[in-house]
Amino acid sequence: MAQVGHRVDYLAGFCCPVGGLVAGKPRVLCHENEIYLSNGSEFVYVYDQEGKVLKAVYRCPDQVWHVELLPQPRQLYILCAHSGIYCVSLDQQSRLMEQTDGDGQESNCPSSVFPVDSDACIFPDSSLCMFTLLNNFVITLSQAHGKWWMKLHELPHPEQESPPYRQVSEVGFCPGPQPGDEEDSPPSRFLPVLCCASSPGTVGSGEGLWCSGGFVLEEPLFSLLFGIDAAMLESPMILCGFPDGQLCSVPLKALSSSTAVDGCHDVSNPDPPVKILHHLEEPIVFIGALRTERRAAEDAEDEQLFGDTGCDCVVAVGHYGKMVAVKADQREEATVPELREYYLRGPILCAACSSSSRMYYSTHSDISAVDLDWVGDSSDPEDAESCTGVLPPVLSPASLSICSVVALSLSSRASEGESELLALSAKGRLMTCGLCSPEDTDVGLTPAEAGRRIKELLSGIGNTSERVSFLKKAVDQKNRALASLNQVMNVSAALLSSQEGQKPIACTVTANWSCLLLQDTVTISCLLENCSEYSLEEGWTLCVQLLASPCALEEESVDSATTFTFPIDQLLPGNKRELTLPLGSAADTKLDLPLTISCALYYSLRDILGSGSDSSEALDDLLPDDSPILSPDREGICLPLSECTIDMLQCLRFESSPPGPDASPPAAAPPAPPDPVETFLKVSQEQTEPEGVKASELPHTSGEGNPPPSAASIRVSSELLKNALKTSGSDVSLSCATLRWLLAENAGAEALSSREVASVRGAAPDGGEVQLLVREVAMNDLSPAGPIQAVEILMESPSLADMCRMHHAVIRRIQVRSERAPGSGPPDLRMQYLRQIQANHEMLLKEAQTLRDRPPLGEEGDATAEKLLHVYRQLRNPSLVLL
Amino acid sequence: HCPSRCRPGPEACGPGSTGPWGTSVYWAAAPVYRSQFLVGLAVVTGLPAALPTLPLELTVLYNSLLFTVGASDSVIEGEAEGIRQGLLRVLEACGAGGQDLSTEELWQKVLQDVTAGELQAPLHQLGALQAAWWLAASRLGSTAGLFRLLSHAEDPGRACCREGENELLSLLKAWQVPAEEASLPLVQSTEDLKEILCTAAAFLQGLQELEAGNFATALSLFQEAAGGFCSKRVLAQIYTCLGCCAQQMGKPQTALQHLKRALQVDFQCLPALSHAAEVYHELGETNAELEALALLYEALGKKLPAAASSSPYFLIRTELLVDTPILASLLRHRHPSEVKYLLAQRCLQYGRVADAVEHYLDFLALFQEGLQQQVPLDDSSALPRIPEVFLETASALEQAGRHQDAITVCEEVISRTTDLIPRMLQVEERLEQPECPSSGAGLVGGLLPQKKESLRYLAWRAAGYLHQGWAWAKLGESKEAITQFSRCMCLSVAENLLPEVEVIQKIRLLSLIGRGMQFLDLGRHKEALLDFLHGLQISPGDPAAASYLVQALWKLNRKQEAAAHWQKFSQSPPGEDGQQEGQGRSFPLYLVSCLKQAMFPHSESLARSIQDYLATTSWDPSSKPSQSPCTGLAQGL
Repeated sequence: MAQVGHRVDYLAGFCCPVGGLVAGKPRVLCHENEIYLSNGSEFVYVYDQEGKVLKAVYRCPDQVWHVELLPQPRQLYILCAHSGIYCVSLDQQSRLMEQTDGDGQESNCPSSVFPVDSDACIFPDSSLCMFTLLNNFVITLSQAHGKWWMKLHELPHPEQESPPYRQVSEVGFCPGPQPGDEEDSPPSRFLPVLCCASSPGTVGSGEGLWCSGGFVLEEPLFSLLFGIDAAMLESPMILCGFPDGQLCSVPLKALSSSTAVDGCHDVSNPDPPVKILHHLEEPIVFIGALRTERRAAEDAEDEQLFGDTGCDCVVAVGHYGKMVAVKADQREEATVPELREYYLRGPILCAACSSSSRMYYSTHSDISAVDLDWVGDSSDPEDAESCTGVLPPVLSPASLSICSVVALSLSSRASEGESELLALSAKGRLMTCGLCSPEDTDVGLTPAEAGRRIKELLSGIGNTSERVSFLKKAVDQKNRALASLNQVMNVSAALLSSQEGQKPIACTVTANWSCLLLQDTVTISCLLENCSEYSLEEGWTLCVQLLASPCALEEESVDSATTFTFPIDQLLPGNKRELTLPLGSAADTKLDLPLTISCALYYSLRDILGSGSDSSEALDDLLPDDSPILSPDREGICLPLSECTIDMLQCLRFESSPPGPDASPPAAAPPAPPDPVETFLKVSQEQTEPEGVKASELPHTSGEGNPPPSAASIRVSSELLKNALKTSGSDVSLSCATLRWLLAENAGAEALSSREVASVRGAAPDGGEVQLLVREVAMNDLSPAGPIQAVEILMESPSLADMCRMHHAVIRRIQVRSERAPGSGPPDLRMQYLRQIQANHEMLLKEAQTLRDRPPLGEEGDATAEKLLHVYRQLRNPSLVLL
Repeated sequence: HCPSRCRPGPEACGPGSTGPWGTSVYWAAAPVYRSQFLVGLAVVTGLPAALPTLPLELTVLYNSLLFTVGASDSVIEGEAEGIRQGLLRVLEACGAGGQDLSTEELWQKVLQDVTAGELQAPLHQLGALQAAWWLAASRLGSTAGLFRLLSHAEDPGRACCREGENELLSLLKAWQVPAEEASLPLVQSTEDLKEILCTAAAFLQGLQELEAGNFATALSLFQEAAGGFCSKRVLAQIYTCLGCCAQQMGKPQTALQHLKRALQVDFQCLPALSHAAEVYHELGETNAELEALALLYEALGKKLPAAASSSPYFLIRTELLVDTPILASLLRHRHPSEVKYLLAQRCLQYGRVADAVEHYLDFLALFQEGLQQQVPLDDSSALPRIPEVFLETASALEQAGRHQDAITVCEEVISRTTDLIPRMLQVEERLEQPECPSSGAGLVGGLLPQKKESLRYLAWRAAGYLHQGWAWAKLGESKEAITQFSRCMCLSVAENLLPEVEVIQKIRLLSLIGRGMQFLDLGRHKEALLDFLHGLQISPGDPAAASYLVQALWKLNRKQEAAAHWQKFSQSPPGEDGQQEGQGRSFPLYLVSCLKQAMFPHSESLARSIQDYLATTSWDPSSKPSQSPCTGLAQGL
């Protein structure tokens, strides 16, 4: 493919947002010597190419989505986001400007910015997405009621005082399954593309037809694509390219307006005039037409006589690089439209068609030209035979080396013999690119030409530097992303390879009481320790998930998990970081102990692209295809670290001075409440909150003073405990050792280690009081060999729930410990007695079961609840001993 | 928006105060006050629901909903969330809840449980609004259920309807409108609303019955609706529906009466005019039909200014409640182009050739007028395919003697289709199977429609040549005519049951006859004979081809064979002849003139001469080779 010669001139710079212009909305139009430009902001600029000055700036009420020019009378039609189409008369404005410039002041910048106010709004319709002009008609496309609506309006004739903008007709249609149902607002990123195709015979197609981007399609392609009826009606066709990739055609003369009275639309009538030509399956960004076959000499004369007979190939380009070309294939016995899909390197920001067979398209990194003239191009006869179509089997893009252009247009001065491409770069620069044909060669330079040449070179340097900076930025970003990926892989490998042993990155969880905002709260501190040789860099997040375990008090409790995330800025090898999170204060939150806490490290892959680039444009940059791996749902790496359980024993809080060894049982002498208000609150709290126990199971003790404390006990044989705790050598009593063991994980219980204590009183996280008493007892009846020494752990609390949690915690510990303890053979037992106890228990269990199965009612219910409670109490105080 | 979330602002009125809307607001200037109403509603509902304030609150709700409808001025859609909220407030005030109930259940609960006397009037008002919403959604059952509740609550046992009367209507009529309280004015009185509901309910049910085909019931319901309270426009619509109903019942005169009434009430009810034309067509009153169509065309051309509605302006109107697809299709506006075409087509059918030509040319001129003139191509359009319109035009022109013009029009069809016709088209017997091995890779709509379309192109082009042939023949240019006729025959089509293929076969037959006639005129009798024979092969028993065959044989002086054929064809049952006629009618309009031209004109004189011949030769029919004279002839040639 021949390199396309070109020359780039910078014309002007326009303001652009920080991230650069985004393709889709910016637009460059050219008519005669004037360039009309919108850069996606609320401004529309008029630039004089001849005088190289900015002639006027219009400020619209909202972001400009689309601009069209009506040359006769000179009017600009501007579509603003969510508000409608505004019409600005350029003649009027230039007169205005002459008046203001009357004092002869010559300046390069326009005297002022003209505001486009709401008076100029000719189609106030917030659902408008796109429009195009065809002579004195406006064709609008809007989205409402889950459908696309195409409407045809007639513009008023300048000399006529007819009612303005009469709606001639409209048609509603839904191409495909949905026109953007997932979002209520019209898709903001991609707008539909409209384009007008007319048949060569259409009235006025010669002189007065004005439709920017429109084209004349020659026969038989027109009939083949749109049907013979449209062709014989000589109806112009509107081609619509939708963001979902559908390419539709609508005959403008047969917009079905089966509009009955009241403007209600006949929905039962499907959209017959609308024809789906193709589905590109990606947002369509451009529709155009090309003349691929050069005419013979005599045809060329005809052309001069009758004007251009039109294009013979329609192209549509999708954002991700898919392109479709349609051309009539008349070689075989059947005349059929040949349709060929091509894959260009995307994402394609914008495109333009030349008057010949060349199409230009812009990506982030380059403008490329592709030539669809294949028959003329293939000099190799074998090639021509091997092919089966009239379109080239592959396209070979030729680079123009102009990067990140967001709007392209072919200058209408191109008709003077030299093609010129108008381009608006992402940085807001307007430039022209002369496209001399490949066969043009340089001859001797005159001084003037040399000067021009130097200017070209200079602007070429400017262009190159912009390109270099863009590419450099892209490379830097990719390097950063690779480095991040590398360290993520290292960390992941380190963690995953040490599955069994100690993990190199560990997270230890402890529960503490602390004073937050004048309230005492149970907090959980997570100590993240990095013992690996890699540092945790920015982007990692520590996720701590609190899960009220399903074995909690409520049977039907759903797993309610709360996840806290802590971003880790940097954690070097060997460093630690402690993070604290409150579990809820004593006053307000109900704490469902025991809690299962899982810690995990998470790395978001999206962050690899750098914190600044949250748009998917950046993703496009990195990955040309819209790869499904990076869909926003599953986009990170998660490494589990540890899981532990926090229970009541860890959360108990003790008074600053631990109770003495001779403390009497709390049931006999409850501590005097410090404040009557507090007492009231406590009591009412106990009344209103069933604390996880079913309401029906609670005894109705309201208003009768303090309820009797609930109690539970566990007996463990001293032998077992001694073995398990290995206290045989120490001088502390067994009960004290047991207590210390039970409270070993409680940070507040350090005071216990200094003294010989067998009983503690503490506060549960919700403020309830809990008493823990350990004493040695002798079990006489159990063994024929004599009394068995045992340790009895007695738990008491006025709150049933607290007591239950405590019981649960203690049992869990004993379970764990006795599993680990080496058995020394159980002593001789009196089986008869054991059986008796077991039988008792089974009976109690059965009773409890029947009581629970039968839903209690009314008065009886209270009694049942009372009974059930009693049974449970008995069950919690077994005369059994763990041996 | 959920007004109950709003907190009372500093300007909030205390409970029990009537507020500014109580006295100053009336129904005028709706949009201005609407927002105030919504604010007022928000203020009131920000407070906990309480029985003393509920009447005020419900009245504000009623008024604000009316304004919302009036301001949007479009068909009511969806569920009235505001009414639901209001009902929930009532339940809240009574200490009950019902969040998870459907609106129907909610109404039931409210009307059964809430007994407070001061709440009855506002609840009934709200009920009328709810009925409006449900009617607009065509939920007649829910509406009837609601009114059953409303009347039962008032006077159980009274609402039982008489035999044969519509339940919903009798319930609606039996419902006693609560008296309006002076302190709580309504923007549209419940009395008016009831009237509108009655009209809408009758109209809606009438439309449903019409759709279901119960014309008698529909008729009585429409009559009920016509007696109700509605604007002139709606009244005209109801009369139009009455007309359609009567037409379907086979009472064209009554239908005309109703349609005339519709036009008297509102001349802009143009659908009535087009229905009237249809009725005239059914009655065979050609003049009246054409007059109606011409009037319709004229009326459509004039942009009549929207007549100011003389009926009082209401916020809720019947037209906002009745909007169903069937009504839309009954009241479908014809495009001027459609009416023009209908005029042309009817004239051609009735043989008013001069008028037909004029209308067809007018219609074709519409194409040139630009985008203002829309030419509907959708399924419900009266227009056939555009090439057929051209062919009909050519047919009309030809009959009017404008042969050159006819040739030009046909040329357009031929040139448009030529490029599109494949040089070879294989039409398999079982076209349903999509995996035809043909080359035409389906671009749009798959292979089968593409092939059918190609067949149509073929038929149109052939018809174009056929007309040209006849036109040249009329101009005396036999050579040209023979060329054109011959062009129709370059296609050989196998026997096929597709209608498109049948049309092509008919065109071949007609062109063979046409060419044979030219040969006869030129004295090339043998060639003519061959053509007529081919024609008979395509369509055995075709009377025209058979007669011409006899004539050709006669002219070739093979009189014996001619007589044998003549006897055979004249003995063939006349029913077949009629059947031929019947088939002829099913062929496209553009072929009718050609069919006529292909008729054998001298059948009587031919019959006489053959009979004379038979009498003179005393030829014995039993001695002739009994079967297949055709094959013998074909072999001979």
